[in-house]
Amino acid sequence: MNALLKSVNSQSVASITFKMVVLLTVIISFLPLLPGLVGLIFSAFGYIPAIDQYTFSFTGFNTLLAWPGLDQSIILTLFVSIASTLLSAVCCFAILQSCWHSRWWKKIETLLAPIMALPHVAFAVGFAFLFTPSGFIARIFGEQIHWQLIHDQYGLGLIVALTLKEIPFLLFMSIPLLKQLNINTTLITAQSLSYNNAQAWQKLILPQWLPKIRFSLFAVMAYSISVVDVALIIGPTQPPTLAVLVWQWLNDADLATLPKASAGALVLSLLCLFTLFSIRFAEWLITVKCKTWQSNGRYSLPIGGKSIIIVTYLIALITLPILLIWSFAQRWRFPDITPSRWSLRFWQQEWHYLLDIIANSMIIALVSATIALIFAIIVHEHSAKAETNKRRLKVPRLLIAIPMLAPQLSLLFGIQVATLYIANQYYYLWVIWAHIFFAFPYIFLALDGPWRSYDQRLDNVALSLGMSPFKTWWQIKRPLLLPAIWIAWAVGISVSLAQYLPTLMLGAGRISTLTTEAVALSSGQDRRISAIYALLQSITPFIFYIIAILVSRKTGSLEQQSAGSNHHTNTTNSAPNSSSTSTSTNSRVTTRNVSISK
Amino acid sequence: MHKLFVGFSLLLISALGQATDLDWPTVEQKAKGQTVYFYAWGGSPEINNYLRWADKRLSSEYGVHLKHVKVGDIAEAITRLAAEKTAKKNTNGSVDMVWVNGENFKSMKRYDLITESFATQLPNWRYVDKTLPVDSDFSEPTLGLEAPWGLGQLVFIYDTENLDNPPTSFNELLAYAIEHPNKITYPKPPSFHGTSFLKAALLELASDNTKLYMPVDTQTFTAISAPLWDYIDKLNAVAWHQGKQFPSSASETIQLLDDGELDIAISFNPNEATTSQQSGKLSDTTVAYAMKAGALSNIHFLSIPWNAAAKEGALVAINFLLSPEAQSRKGDLAIWGDPTVLAPQHITGSAQKTKLFKSIPEPHPSWQAALEAEWQKRYGH
Repeated sequence: MNALLKSVNSQSVASITFKMVVLLTVIISFLPLLPGLVGLIFSAFGYIPAIDQYTFSFTGFNTLLAWPGLDQSIILTLFVSIASTLLSAVCCFAILQSCWHSRWWKKIETLLAPIMALPHVAFAVGFAFLFTPSGFIARIFGEQIHWQLIHDQYGLGLIVALTLKEIPFLLFMSIPLLKQLNINTTLITAQSLSYNNAQAWQKLILPQWLPKIRFSLFAVMAYSISVVDVALIIGPTQPPTLAVLVWQWLNDADLATLPKASAGALVLSLLCLFTLFSIRFAEWLITVKCKTWQSNGRYSLPIGGKSIIIVTYLIALITLPILLIWSFAQRWRFPDITPSRWSLRFWQQEWHYLLDIIANSMIIALVSATIALIFAIIVHEHSAKAETNKRRLKVPRLLIAIPMLAPQLSLLFGIQVATLYIANQYYYLWVIWAHIFFAFPYIFLALDGPWRSYDQRLDNVALSLGMSPFKTWWQIKRPLLLPAIWIAWAVGISVSLAQYLPTLMLGAGRISTLTTEAVALSSGQDRRISAIYALLQSITPFIFYIIAILVSRKTGSLEQQSAGSNHHTNTTNSAPNSSSTSTSTNSRVTTRNVSISK
Repeated sequence: MHKLFVGFSLLLISALGQATDLDWPTVEQKAKGQTVYFYAWGGSPEINNYLRWADKRLSSEYGVHLKHVKVGDIAEAITRLAAEKTAKKNTNGSVDMVWVNGENFKSMKRYDLITESFATQLPNWRYVDKTLPVDSDFSEPTLGLEAPWGLGQLVFIYDTENLDNPPTSFNELLAYAIEHPNKITYPKPPSFHGTSFLKAALLELASDNTKLYMPVDTQTFTAISAPLWDYIDKLNAVAWHQGKQFPSSASETIQLLDDGELDIAISFNPNEATTSQQSGKLSDTTVAYAMKAGALSNIHFLSIPWNAAAKEGALVAINFLLSPEAQSRKGDLAIWGDPTVLAPQHITGSAQKTKLFKSIPEPHPSWQAALEAEWQKRYGH
């Protein structure tokens, strides 16, 4: 009796502790939203103590509206973000359609990580080196290119670069989603009704894929609206996108532009909200409202996914050797294909300082990604429990997504002011917190698929056999999900490594990372030195991805693991240890199915 | 009696606190071990390297660490200071020392973001060349709130292999641009060099340029700047990318000159061609020159925010940067090539070879904002 009481007691203590941990997680990961939003709204309506303004007014909005070129800038911003999101979604789907479980799908999947790891800024620098009128492509063809892709008026270069950069992200996020969808059964059924592969994908899988990829599309859209660093390097300049304008106003020496800047930041958030709704609306149109296209016969759009994936990889991978050459070039004048004078001097000059900066970047990334990972796991666990127990409060998904969806610039502005009132000298603390905050939703998203496809019945069996909840988690769930956890950790690290605005604004510029150095140096246009930083910026997250992939291979690859857990959901065989043995046959069956369906 | 003594000593302490005379040995003593966060433009590897050298020297000689905080634009630091002012963070601020001039200095002064006057009390002030306009910054009196650091002149750079006879006035520049479409441009205002280009052109084209040295008002602005806009209309029509796109900075014009996209680049450093040749950025056949009328000239300064955490360290650092050793190295053509603010006899090495062009003083800073706004209205979108 006593023992029973004791165990009940210890169980309730454990559950209370768990609840406290969830609460703490929510507080730490979402608290910055409050000052962020309050600071933004107050200052947009003219309450800015920084310049002795303590009354609410519309001055900010008036000066914003009076700014010549505002309408073009907004149209441009919308164009760039909608076009790049749409394009990357279409391209991603085309690739999935034509390559999913094809002969080389495995290779595509393995190669996704390095491309994903390439930070946006480094990619933008490399992209610019390729496509300026005197860039590498022009050097190969021996004359200047007359079309303009860098800083062009319509933002086409920015659209192309963002699209290329987002395709791997969407592909990566699609993998676990598709694994839940029973693609093979669908394809076989469709085939038996004599639909071909493309038709089956577009009519049957697209409507299922779209709602599941929604949050990732939101992330892509929000990023493209509020991106500052990439737009500075390759975006249009006349006028620039709204995010760049707001950034420039925020940093204007004349503090009287602050109301205009804050009003602009608010407009940016509203634009973002608007486009997110438009994605949701489009999705609804396609999947719910106008479904006639699904049953209008055997028509399907011809989209060549294979060439898209080749171009994506090619452009992303070719930037690396070009960066490498530039970093060793002393003199490389147009139109020479290789440098005329080589030199080690830039590496020698920077090396000593680079070690510090790399160490700094890595420590921040490791600490923040690890904490964010733990938080994400806690919230997932909580959601999984809430799923079975309806009485529990769920953490709303939209709340989780906000740091990813709200324009960074708008939020950070408020957060920065708040840190000043508390204690702004804890630069590292604030920067790491901001990194946790921004990396959290990405990690959460990366874990989402694996967590959903985990078979809850495994836990039930273990619990019924008398294992404690924590032991069940540690010995059964964790090993199965470990590969996904490793990858999510790498995703978090790469997100942290790429953070520019949070590091700069909350670190007061004192904390230098590879990214902040890269952007500061890009203002000086010295290609040789920019190349070094862009290169190192690409290599660091890459190393973590490699580690994550290697480690997850050791415990069974993500693919096998998910296939394994899929296997469990599909069949009644749910012994945990069978996953490693059954996966190989399972994936073989899968490939055969695809080849049959073709 | 005891109370009286306390009161007296408090009075004494506060009097000392307000004293304007710097007790230099005490400053050096307090500076030891301090880390000075120096906010300065971080786009140039040459400048960054120079500051690394300064850090080494300062550490070994004075125990002061100079940490270069690389910013894309110094205004970032000014906004930060303003935010700290709001939060009443009057001590232990994040910025210890800034590299400013012109508009940024004006902002700092207007919002009281600068520490008390210090420049003329630095021991190395005695080396400063007082014939230079070191006491005014874009016609704004410096009052010792900032110490001069170097000298800038608006110059143009061309490659003698492509061009034998560079245009030496803004009118000739337009004629050249018409003859060679797509080869001439200027950095986009409101970037520092872009606005300087407008100012320099206006100084040549305006019928009465004495008005440019007085605060601007709408009426004189419209009348005086009319020929400039007429000029820019014509120039933009034949400029690089037909004026639909402009380089973001002077550094980009230098890159574009080397790429063969432009025939003339722009810089605020009269030694830019030489230093860029040394680092491999430009070909050995490039030359810098100024317009016949002279080169728009200004001095760039160093200042200390009111809430600096390492005020003494910043004073020591600035004093060191004004030493003949530091200034000679800064002027070294293989290092940075920034012209000195010291009297020539104190300078050694290749910095001695710097030849300045005939100088034109900067217009009143109020013109800057007016020109930028008008340019934006006409061409910025």
